[in-house]
Amino acid sequence: MTAGAATHIYPFVPGGAADGTKLISGAVVLSDLTGKPCFGLKGGGSAAWLAAQGVPLPAVNRIGDHRGMRVLRLGNEDILFLAENAGETLAQIKAAWLTAVAPKGYSSWREEGWAWMRLSGPRLVEAMSGLCALDLRPQKFGVDDIAQTRVGHIEAVAFRSPTGFDILFDITASAYFARAVAAVAGHQHRGHP
Amino acid sequence: MNRLPAPLGSRIDRSRPIRFSFEGKSFEGYEGDSIASALAASGQWVLSRSFKYHRPRGILSMTGADANALVQLPSEPNTAAERTPISEGLRVCAQNVNGSLERDRDAVMDRFGRFLPVGFYYRTFMGPRRDSWLKFWEPMIRRKAGLGVVDTKAPHRHFDKTNLHCDLLVVGAGPAGLSAAIAAAEAGADVILCDENPEIGGSLSYGRYDPAVLFGLTSRLEALPNLRLLTGTVCNGWYEDNWLPLIEGDRLHRTRAREVILATGAIEQPAVFRNNDLPGIMLSGAAQRLIRHYGVRPGQSAVVLAANDDGYRTALDLLDAGVSVVELVDPRSAGEAGPLEAELRGRSVAIRKDATIEVAEGRAGNRHLARVRIGGSWIACDLLTVSIGQTPAWQLPCQAGGKVGYDAGTQMMTITLPQGPVHLAGAVAGTDELQDAIASGPRAAATALSRLGHAATVEPPVTPKAARPRYVQKIVADPKGRDFVDFDEDLQVKDLQNATKDGYREIELVKRFTTVGMGPSQGRHSALATARIVAEATGRTVGEIGITTARPPVGPETLGVLAGHQEVLERRTALHARHIALNAAMKPVGAWWRPYYYGDANSAQEAIREEILAVRQGVGLLDVSTLGKLEIRGPDAGEFLDRLYTMAHANQPVGRVRYCLMLNEMGSVIDDGVAYRIAEDQFYVTATTGAVARVYADMLFWNAEWRLKVDVLNLTGAFSGLNVTGPKARMVLQALDSDIDFSRDAFPYLSGRDGMVAGVPVRVMRIGFTGELSYELHCPSSLAPSLWDAVMAAGRPHGLRPYGLEASRILRLEKGHILIGQDTDAITTPDELGFGWAVSKKKPFFVGKRSIEMRARLGQTRKLVGLKFPAGSRNIPGESCLVLRGGAPVGQITSIGYSPSLEAHIALAYVHVDDQAEGSRVTVKCRDGELLEAPVVAHAFFDPTNARQEM
Repeated sequence: MTAGAATHIYPFVPGGAADGTKLISGAVVLSDLTGKPCFGLKGGGSAAWLAAQGVPLPAVNRIGDHRGMRVLRLGNEDILFLAENAGETLAQIKAAWLTAVAPKGYSSWREEGWAWMRLSGPRLVEAMSGLCALDLRPQKFGVDDIAQTRVGHIEAVAFRSPTGFDILFDITASAYFARAVAAVAGHQHRGHP
Repeated sequence: MNRLPAPLGSRIDRSRPIRFSFEGKSFEGYEGDSIASALAASGQWVLSRSFKYHRPRGILSMTGADANALVQLPSEPNTAAERTPISEGLRVCAQNVNGSLERDRDAVMDRFGRFLPVGFYYRTFMGPRRDSWLKFWEPMIRRKAGLGVVDTKAPHRHFDKTNLHCDLLVVGAGPAGLSAAIAAAEAGADVILCDENPEIGGSLSYGRYDPAVLFGLTSRLEALPNLRLLTGTVCNGWYEDNWLPLIEGDRLHRTRAREVILATGAIEQPAVFRNNDLPGIMLSGAAQRLIRHYGVRPGQSAVVLAANDDGYRTALDLLDAGVSVVELVDPRSAGEAGPLEAELRGRSVAIRKDATIEVAEGRAGNRHLARVRIGGSWIACDLLTVSIGQTPAWQLPCQAGGKVGYDAGTQMMTITLPQGPVHLAGAVAGTDELQDAIASGPRAAATALSRLGHAATVEPPVTPKAARPRYVQKIVADPKGRDFVDFDEDLQVKDLQNATKDGYREIELVKRFTTVGMGPSQGRHSALATARIVAEATGRTVGEIGITTARPPVGPETLGVLAGHQEVLERRTALHARHIALNAAMKPVGAWWRPYYYGDANSAQEAIREEILAVRQGVGLLDVSTLGKLEIRGPDAGEFLDRLYTMAHANQPVGRVRYCLMLNEMGSVIDDGVAYRIAEDQFYVTATTGAVARVYADMLFWNAEWRLKVDVLNLTGAFSGLNVTGPKARMVLQALDSDIDFSRDAFPYLSGRDGMVAGVPVRVMRIGFTGELSYELHCPSSLAPSLWDAVMAAGRPHGLRPYGLEASRILRLEKGHILIGQDTDAITTPDELGFGWAVSKKKPFFVGKRSIEMRARLGQTRKLVGLKFPAGSRNIPGESCLVLRGGAPVGQITSIGYSPSLEAHIALAYVHVDDQAEGSRVTVKCRDGELLEAPVVAHAFFDPTNARQEM
């Protein structure tokens, strides 16, 4: 399945499902990266095919780097590329994969199924402690660690980004998630004026 | 006014006066005052009436641990007046009074005490009928004995929860806890230190100690960025794996600590003598807290009961606060005079050794202490401070596995913790003197640090140098009673002695019979005295008696703190904004928001009717994106589905769509959907909206169990679904730019095609829920709005109408399609649904197969059938109304609605298996009790030959 000329509409853009939901900013900043270049492979053959392409794969639940892309190993055969600033590289990999013969895994459709949001701001640590039960202290949760956990009461994948935490979760819950983050930030504001 | 000059009053800000009321009377205090301290400053000492005898009660400990000082706030009952700060305009009332605090009509109970012995309720109110207690006596007694009043209209408050993690949690910021936390943080550990008080220091903040000690600890603490201080924070329990709830106001910090040091301190114990509960009699710590924290003079003329140095220090504090100390009574025999005694004598305080308070007497109505009797002579006073001993604060250590013992040599309660991640420091570990407490902190920290992997020298515990036998009060019942052991429950010495005479010899039984320790203080002031009384009465040692089990929570907590704040989960399909733009009435279905119908609420019925007719006569469009969507890939995909579902899928041709029915292991129907075979090794499977999470989890479970070459992917959010249905559906799709041939022959019923429609990659299945010609178009969610727009535009010439869930519900009911979870329950079998056709008889195995075979042998009792109610029926049953046979229930209505196509109410219902034949008449009981007869009809009310959906 390859997209034709039709327009992609993600939750926070006009006409999207979460259109009109405000993304909090200030002490806690939530920004939307859904729709940025992202591609996932899953199933038998994924890892071998990528390795054959010269993509170095990190251990499970670790993040690696390949030509400016972040390579997230979510499972043995479940790999996700995030190419915020390396769309070209990702497009090359994708094009190579589309024309390759099996076994090569298959698309996990993460670019469609997962929202990709970034939490940052001066009160980031407090906000994350309200949203996630995990021990995310720097000495326990490093820059290349992945947590497959719950954030804001929904299933999520969380990891560090240069400015904060990136969180991947069910795209249909985008409006809810923005609301949940705003509520947590609001509580913290109330608690510590 | 009883206010003392600064610097006394560390908690109050004299520049900010605050007005509030108590019992309707106006009072003034300062910012930082607690309700009790502000009232005390104005001479209001009575705060409440006791539980049983309605005796006036006041400040006992200033720690908020007992019922004496519980008050009612407008929206919060049982508030600890000793700990709760005043605020401008706060309205405070007394609790447990009949009339007013000043004139309590139930104060007469105090005279009838001898008619109300312990166990009185159990013995007296059990008749005359079996339910008399429950129906009559208990409600009446509760009205009399109730504490606060719940305000069901209380304004909403904001609560929240956070998660904390640390290497070391230190509970209690007294001298031991402070020095433990500082030592650990200085060694590099990540430390959290919490204390329930608004300031650090514990006894250093109110006791008679050199201020330099606290100052020194504070400056070391402030230099440590890795030490997080949480004051005003109660640690309310210890749970497995060092999980501790820290409650900071309306916030719950769920804290996971690798190591825990409990420096919870000690609890001062009251003395037992007649009228020991009078306002004006308080523990010495309470007097010191009033003086130093709040700058309140606790009385004018004091007698000090002191069996330890703290009592002597209190006497000096009282002198400094301008209280006249009439006499210090030390029940210990005369020994060597210490420096404190010398100082007191130097300030002309009379000290009497080997004597104690025999009895106290109050002013009229027992509203305040008037005098005490010592050695047979009466001494007038309005304050008696009591310092006769303490118990370690055992609650948290016991929850963490600690065992309470009793050291007969030193006459002390002891706590022993098993080797592990929880450690004790300070008074809770038995230290008595400040220097010992301060030294015990770093020692506990060293043990914790070495367990954390830090290089720390663990010093062996040393016997505190002050370990000398404690004074033990000989408890003898006063012949006239009113010698209270438990202030919360108004229990006297004889009550406990009588309980042992009645045969209740074990402490847990004594507790349940007498209710000792069941009040708000949870035995903090009564457990030790009770153990001693029971030990004495049963000829055993205090160690053999022990104390009752301490469970979390340590203190009261509000339900709001436990609940926290939760945003309501909400899932939206990619078409949400399209529905809103079309004026859809959106409603939540589980977490999903779905259009119920399109149009205004005042014409809802008309809109639904038009939507139904559009599908039956023209073409409709339904957002089915909430359906579960699962992709099963791999060479064993067909085999995997064969084992999971009841029909055959391994032999399903590519390009075909097959119904799937899922059973659980007990043979009950749990889900249905369709499986579209896209390729030999690829199926696209739908699941019901509500069940997909479970189905997906089950698939992962079975996949791990069976070890087939299969991969399961949940595409529920990644893909959206549009159902184009109605006699004109094909025309609409053929009008769209597409590489798919939608003609009847090229794309027959129950087949699937991949391709492009309007520039959007799609998976199309010829299936539907309406009974009409129907195509389900699934596409990547980000493209769903584009596809929706294209279909809407292509449908316009054909009168296409989007329709909502309500129309969909009726359309499927007309067709007799079941909804899993609505028309099925936890025990529904395929046979009961008439779904024998969907169960393969050839497959050797599928989940639930053995169970349905076994259940078939037990015989079938019910069957899901259609019922049709005559047009114009006045009374129509609702969902769940019973189907009766011979007056006994045999089934129920599962779905019902008005069919505009059939112009009648139709229903699906379970009936007796013998009534399943078409034309049988069954009896249904309406909501108002009326019995209706309705004929059984076939499932498919509409187009039973399926001609329309297959055209």
